Amino acid sequence: MAHPLRDKYCIVGVGETEYSQRSGRTTRAMAVEAVKKAMDDAGLTPQEVDGLLSYHMGDSTPSTAVASDLGIRPNFFMDVSGGGSSTEALIGLAMGAIEVGMCHTVAIYRSMNGYTQVRIGGTGARASTPVSGSELLTRPYGLMSPLQRFAFAFTRHMMEYGTTSEQLAMVKVVHSRHASANPKAFKKEPVTVEDVLNSRWIVKPVAHLLDCCLETDNATCIIVTSAERARHLRQRPIYIMAVQGRGSRTFPDNPWAEAPITRIGGHYIAPRIFQMAGVGPEDIDITGCYDAFTFTVVLQFEAYGFCKVGEGGYYVSSGIIQLGGKRPNNTSGGHLCEGYTHGMNMVIENVRQLRGQADDYCPGWREGRHTYQYGPGGCRQVRDPEIAMNMGWGTPGYGSALILRR
Amino acid sequence: MPTYEYRGLILNIPEFDQEHAGYFEYARRHQLAVKRCLDCGLLRWEPGPSCPFCTSLRWEWTPVSGRGEIYSYQIVYHTVLPGFRDWVPYPIVLVELDEQRGVPTPGYGLRITANLVDEHFRPEREERVAIGARVEAVFMDLPNGLTLPQFTLSGEPPRTPLWRHKE
Ligand SMILES: [Zn+2]
Repeated sequence: MAHPLRDKYCIVGVGETEYSQRSGRTTRAMAVEAVKKAMDDAGLTPQEVDGLLSYHMGDSTPSTAVASDLGIRPNFFMDVSGGGSSTEALIGLAMGAIEVGMCHTVAIYRSMNGYTQVRIGGTGARASTPVSGSELLTRPYGLMSPLQRFAFAFTRHMMEYGTTSEQLAMVKVVHSRHASANPKAFKKEPVTVEDVLNSRWIVKPVAHLLDCCLETDNATCIIVTSAERARHLRQRPIYIMAVQGRGSRTFPDNPWAEAPITRIGGHYIAPRIFQMAGVGPEDIDITGCYDAFTFTVVLQFEAYGFCKVGEGGYYVSSGIIQLGGKRPNNTSGGHLCEGYTHGMNMVIENVRQLRGQADDYCPGWREGRHTYQYGPGGCRQVRDPEIAMNMGWGTPGYGSALILRR
Repeated sequence: MPTYEYRGLILNIPEFDQEHAGYFEYARRHQLAVKRCLDCGLLRWEPGPSCPFCTSLRWEWTPVSGRGEIYSYQIVYHTVLPGFRDWVPYPIVLVELDEQRGVPTPGYGLRITANLVDEHFRPEREERVAIGARVEAVFMDLPNGLTLPQFTLSGEPPRTPLWRHKE
């Protein structure tokens, strides 16, 4: 039986700033713009938003500042520590805050100068901080960046299942084609498998340069309210069927302690989210699978049952995940090509897809008129998608998930 | 144990950090140590304040053989740490120690991270790094008094076929 809160809450507004590597302004200014755009998208005034949630890694601006700037008086606000996989989890927290009566409409934002201020890759400011605690066991060995932290799991995957660099490259190839129909995307040029394989190694054998996501400056916002309120707002309501997060595997902070180390948090989240939604992987029309690196996509498709464990390399290179395929993934280009914003942009994209409002190069996209001619400078709207899923990657140790329907 | 500089990093290892100070004290004596639960007797890694198998807060550091095999690896070509730039490409290995493999669950192992180094404590050549290769702990004494545990190939025959990435 489906969960009692299924379809009781909706995403009613989305908005974002430009994806760039030179924002030239504060995270405060960007956060305010993203929240304002999401309110405008929903048709909400600041007086009708009474909740704010954000997440950060010591690199953002708190909700109280954003509320003050926009004339929002929150009945509930919180700034949560976290990066990847926070997006879906905060959507769940927003539902909880509304459900218990702390507020009725929550704007969730993430604002980061992820290129010009605090780089996620660990270069610059982060790398020079003193080392203490459990980092004493890693950073003195030259292990610090997210890629290095995740790499052991995927080297093992390549060994155990024969997954190849060519298969990983296909994730980038597909996402780059999707980005080529996304005017917002920071990298719009389609790339080939050879381009990926010929780009320099970052960490061997798991990632060349083009297997790694972008680092960008941007802010993003998603507004959640009850289905009852959603029916009176500007956009077609997008219903939240189920949410889970941040769910963990055993030893979440030390995910190498118990084999198989290729098993990620999603393994434990999958049965919970599909039971809550009352659907299975075969019912999902489009996916937003967190692409911090091409291999995070492979590990998550396997964990959530879109293919068998060990067959993720085939799944991503089979044509299934591209526009026109059976279940397109990251139709905006995702973190690999659109911009990096810790999963927010992939939820925003799925909301627009479910509305039929993918902002592509079709002249009539605002009215939902699309050509369905996929390719550079063309359409990227999937034909009538009904159910979308987001898989949020935190680390091999934990993640989050979200299922939406129109 | 106070503060040490290594490759541009400032390492803080205060006495009160009982999760880590003992590890480096044993390393100074050229012994690899892990934590052992004083109630159920199980070894654990990482060395946290409680036993993840019985929640006992009573523990001791206990030396282990330092022998094991490479369970996974990565070769870092692009480092984010400026002090490691003269080391690239360098291997980081996940070593599964011989002690307590598959106990208390079939998948559990004491899996420790370090660099794979040669006899001069330089990064081991990439073509010699492989999953399944037998290794032993070696101890890199720094002039500032800190000793960093590392691993090196032991030359023992592997128990399983070696695997390394083919380009
Ligand atoms: Zn115990």
